[in-house]
Order: sequence, then structure tokens, then C-alpha cells
Amino acid sequence: MLEIKNLHVKIADEDTEILKGIDLTLPKGEVHAIMGPNGSGKSTLAYVLAGKPDYEITGGTITWNGEDITGMSPDERAARGIFLAFQYPIEIPGVATMTFLRTSLNAVRKARGEEQLSTPEFMRVVREKADELKVSSDKLKRPLNVGFSGGEKKRQEILQMSLLEPTLCVLDETDSGLDIDALKIVADGVNALRGPERAMLVITHYQRLLNYIVPDKVHVLSNGKIVRTGGKELALELEKSGYAEFGEAAA
Amino acid sequence: MSVEVLKTKAEQGLADQFTAARSGLPGAGNAWAEGLRDAAWETYRSAGLPHRRIEEWKYTDLRALLRDAYPPAPALTEALTRDDISAALGPALAALDCHRLVVVNGQLRLELSDAGGLEGKGELLSLGDALGDPSDWLKQTLAQANPPRNDTVVALNTALMTGGAALRIADNVKLNKPVHIVHMLTSREAASVTTRNVVVVGAGAKVTLLESYVSHGTAPAQRNAVTELVAGDGSRVHHIKFQNENLETAHLTSWMTRLGADVTYDAFQFSLGARLARNQIFVAFAGEGSRSHVSGAVLARGRQHNDTTMVIDHGVPACESREFNKLVLDGSARGIVQCKAIVRKDAQKTDGHQMARALMLSEAAEFDSKPELEIFADDVVCGHGSTSGQVDEEHLFYLRARGIPEPQARALLIAAFIGEAIEKVENESIREAFLNFTGSWLAGEGA
Repeated sequence: MLEIKNLHVKIADEDTEILKGIDLTLPKGEVHAIMGPNGSGKSTLAYVLAGKPDYEITGGTITWNGEDITGMSPDERAARGIFLAFQYPIEIPGVATMTFLRTSLNAVRKARGEEQLSTPEFMRVVREKADELKVSSDKLKRPLNVGFSGGEKKRQEILQMSLLEPTLCVLDETDSGLDIDALKIVADGVNALRGPERAMLVITHYQRLLNYIVPDKVHVLSNGKIVRTGGKELALELEKSGYAEFGEAAA
Repeated sequence: MSVEVLKTKAEQGLADQFTAARSGLPGAGNAWAEGLRDAAWETYRSAGLPHRRIEEWKYTDLRALLRDAYPPAPALTEALTRDDISAALGPALAALDCHRLVVVNGQLRLELSDAGGLEGKGELLSLGDALGDPSDWLKQTLAQANPPRNDTVVALNTALMTGGAALRIADNVKLNKPVHIVHMLTSREAASVTTRNVVVVGAGAKVTLLESYVSHGTAPAQRNAVTELVAGDGSRVHHIKFQNENLETAHLTSWMTRLGADVTYDAFQFSLGARLARNQIFVAFAGEGSRSHVSGAVLARGRQHNDTTMVIDHGVPACESREFNKLVLDGSARGIVQCKAIVRKDAQKTDGHQMARALMLSEAAEFDSKPELEIFADDVVCGHGSTSGQVDEEHLFYLRARGIPEPQARALLIAAFIGEAIEKVENESIREAFLNFTGSWLAGEGA
């Protein structure tokens, strides 16, 4: 279970507070959506969960399965099953995709006390999952994300997610930049990972994604605070009314 | 006057060495060889070691950096085995399938070489022996391939050279295996070595020439090595240097290359070792339609000083030159890249571009980049660029978010950075060997 209590966060080198007391409980087996206008702190919350060094926690706690993770490095969090699917996946020239996937998977397996996969086994698993996400083998031969379209990058994120088998998935605006076909592929990939041992936090500006990844709960984030929580119908309501009542004109 | 020019202990020591050795150097008694040495000596005597007020040497002041002149290494003091050579090269390069020529303490040692496969492909001579009875092609090449003017380090080499490989590849010969010249120094005491290679590649020939510079032991050393290379029309030459000498070594090398017409010349230098390294590369275009790509990768840490200085001389039209260097600098290492491209009046349609990039791993590391363009023609495309920066924090976070611990993530990114240069090496075995050395260096081994 993910428990966030009274979380206050600012950018490390600045004084401006971005998250101003977040409280959130996400049990295993559930999918929660975080919706909110631009600048409400959605991406900051995602980064803070993953341990990005640019942010400073000035108050509150984050616990995952009862363990306080706020002092942990990003890789320690990954080893504990936390996975952030980036809104803007990073291009890294010179690092071959397969080398990266293998290094990542082996590091995580090692940290979890699992055996490393043999080369043939690794290749088989990657091919199988890549096929499901319609990631061509040509893309796997290229440097990580270099020259990929927005949709290709998002599929790479979901491929990494399905390889690493995390227990807490944080999806930051995974729908942005996707056409409807790509969105369906990505949503199918995410839905395939839903299960009783896995918690998911789906961050999105638009309701559209939630037609495909149906959440158990929807939280509205505005100006650094969760201002409303409801069922999946809350997303539909927001789609009609927009975020006006939460400080932004209809999108 | 000469007494005033040679000011430092090292400068005077070199003068004493030449005086003492002159009559016993290879080629003594041969008027041509003696003439070359004496003319070169005059160049040195009138200028001394290069220092910071000489523009080309402003970052590498040899008067300040060379305190003493070490005595010449004895011809071969003790038995050196093939295993010793393999150990100095490391397993990947020791296993390279090649025509191996071994130069120890300044002499080509055929009994340690594997040169049999070169028979009938041209001619291989021990330069030390050939100086006393030079063939025409040697006479036409030595000190004439593309000699820099007034470079006293090259002049010192000509004055004091004891030997090396003189290799002629006949026209249209295509060597499938690389020629690997292994330069080794073995000595218990501080020693110097001055070697010279002369390579003539015939028209239409194809060769990969790898030069390795490695140490046997940890004694301080001073190396002055020159390779002169003439590439005939339509030839294709890959010229690669591997430098992994011990950290007590001052490594001075100069490549002097002249390209005929329609030549493809790909040069690459990989530097890991030596306390002080000056890598000089002089390329002259003497025939139209040729291209020269000179690249390099430098890994330096501690107090290493690595200077790559290039002069690319476009004397004829329609040639292409590229210089691409990458450096990883840690500790208080200092990296220098200088490249002067000269485009002479007749060299229309020249296409030249140079780039130097440094990755700084510490606050105390220093990178100096000096591009120079001297353009006298009006229809040319020339450019240059230079960058220095640190490991990208966004890249690092992304890798760590995928479970890769920071040291490993950092190593992956550094290897990716330098790998972009090493990818220029076409020969797969040599490229893989260099990538392996990079991995070991990142793991803290080696130099």
C-alpha cells in the first residue's frame, strides 16, 4: 500500500512550494487516477515518488508497503517495485536499447535477490513483450529512444514496465502525444499488468485515457493539494465542467 | 648563441647525448643519413625544447615538463618473451589476428615479430639497419613525407632515432589482416627511446596499420616516436594508435602523413596511459579527391596531461577533412585539443570540419580546445565546434529510476560518450578491444 501523508515539496534550489500537503492512500490491487489542471503539481508528485533529486521534501511522509521511501535513491525505489513511466522519456545517445534493458533488468533482479536471466532467456522475454506492444526489433537495436516518435517512446516505457514487473506503477501523462491506436496499445499493455499485487497511479490531464484504463478512484489535484476524491464518474464530470472550479479554464 | 638557447638541464642533456652518440648512431658513415641528422640537430640546437611562448606548444611546455633527459634505453638488456609482450598489450590486443612487428627499445626485433605473411606484399626493413644502406624509396620518404617546419620534437627524433619499421606495401596489395607495430620499452632504470617508422602505401593498396605503445615495467620513460606515411593514389589506409604506457612516461608522438589523389585515410588514436602525452598529427593533401578523417578518444585521470595537436593542410582542391575528438577527464587531468586547418589558395571545394568534446568528471579537470582555420581559398566549407560538460543529470536520473545504481549508470553514460568516438574504428576486433579497455578504465583499473 502507498500512503502519502501531509506531503510538502519544493524545488530544491527555490523557495516556491509546489505540493502543499498531499494525503493519499492507494491500496494494492487498485488503480487511482490523479487529474488536475496544468501546474497543479501532478508531475512533481510523480517525480517525488520516483526520487528525482531536484525536489526537496519539506514535510510529511511517503511510505510504500510500510517502509518510508523518502530517503531512498531512485534505484533503491526501483528495486522495491516503484516504476515511473515518464511523461517525456529521455533520449540517451550511445546507450543501446538492449544493453540498457538488460542492465536495468539485471540490476533490479539482483537487488530483489533474483537470478539474472541468461542471454537467450532475456532475448526471448524482450521479444515476447515487444511483440505485444508492437515494438519492432529494429527499434530495439537503436540507441535508447533516439529519434523515436512520441508514441514509440511511450511504448518503450510500457515495455520497460512489463519487463521490470513493478508493484507500484506511476504513469505520468502516458496518453500525451498518442493517437487513438497507440493509446489502445499502451492501455492494453497497462491493463495486462493490473492485478491484486499491483497498485497503479495514473496521472492525466484528460479523461480520455480513463476510458481505456478504468480507475477505481479519481483524485483531483489543484494548487498542490487534493481537493476532491470520487469514483470513476468524477472523471466524466470533469470532462464536462473542466477544471474551472479548480482554478483553470476548461481545457 | 647555442649555449644560451639550450637553457634547461633536459635541453643540455639531450645535447650531450647527441654529441656522445653521433658517431655510433645507425647510419653513421652514410653521408645521406648523417646529413639528415646534422640538419635536424641544427633545428633543435637553434631553438631548444618547445615552450609556452611557441604558439603550438602553449599548453604543453616541454621546458617546464621535462626536467631531465633520460639516457637512451640499452638495445636489449634482458630476454623479453612473447608472453611479456602479450601481457603488456592486454588479452584483447594480444589475440589480434595481425602481422605483428615488435619494436623493443628502439629496434625492430624480427625474432619477436610475426612478419612472414607480409612476404611478397612489398618490403619490410629494420630502419636501424636500412639507414646505413638506404634504398631509393626510403631516401625519398624519410623526413620528407610531410615534415612540419621547425618542430623541434620531430627534429630531435630525426637526430636521435635508432630504428623502427620501414614498410612498403606494393601497389594494389590489399592486406586482410592489420599490420600491428608494437612499441615496447623495457628497462629497470629511467630511459628514453627514439623510434621512427616509415610506411609507404602503394597506389590502390589497402592496409590497416595499428601502432601500440605499451610499457614493460614501471620505470620512468621518455618516448619520442615518429611515423611517416605516404599514401599512394587510390589507396585506403586505416591508421590507429593505442597508447597505454605507464604513468611515469612522457609520450611524444608525431604522425606525418601525405595523401595522394582519391585516398581514404581514417586515423584514430586511443590514449589511456602516460603522465604526459603529446599526440601530433600532420596530414597534407597532395592529390585531389581525397578524404582524411582523424578521430580520437582520450581517457585521463589523476595528473595526466594529454595534448592532441593536429595540422591538416589542404594544398589541392576537392578534399574532405574531419577531426573528431572526445575526452573524458577526471581528477586533475588536463586535456588539450588543437587543430589547425590550412586551406591554401588553390584548394577550392575544400570541405573541412572539426569537433572536440570533453566530458568533465571533476572540478579540477581542465580542457583546452583551440581550433584554427587559415583559409586562403574562397569556395570552401569549413567549420569547427567544441563542447565541454558533465554527465547529464536527466540521463542519470532516468537510468537510476530503472534500477541501475548510480556508479553503474554513470559508467554507462561515460562509456556511451566515449563510445561515439571509438565507433569510428572500422576493425571490429580493435574496436571491441578499445571498448573493453574503456570498461576496465571505468572500473578503476589500468592507468
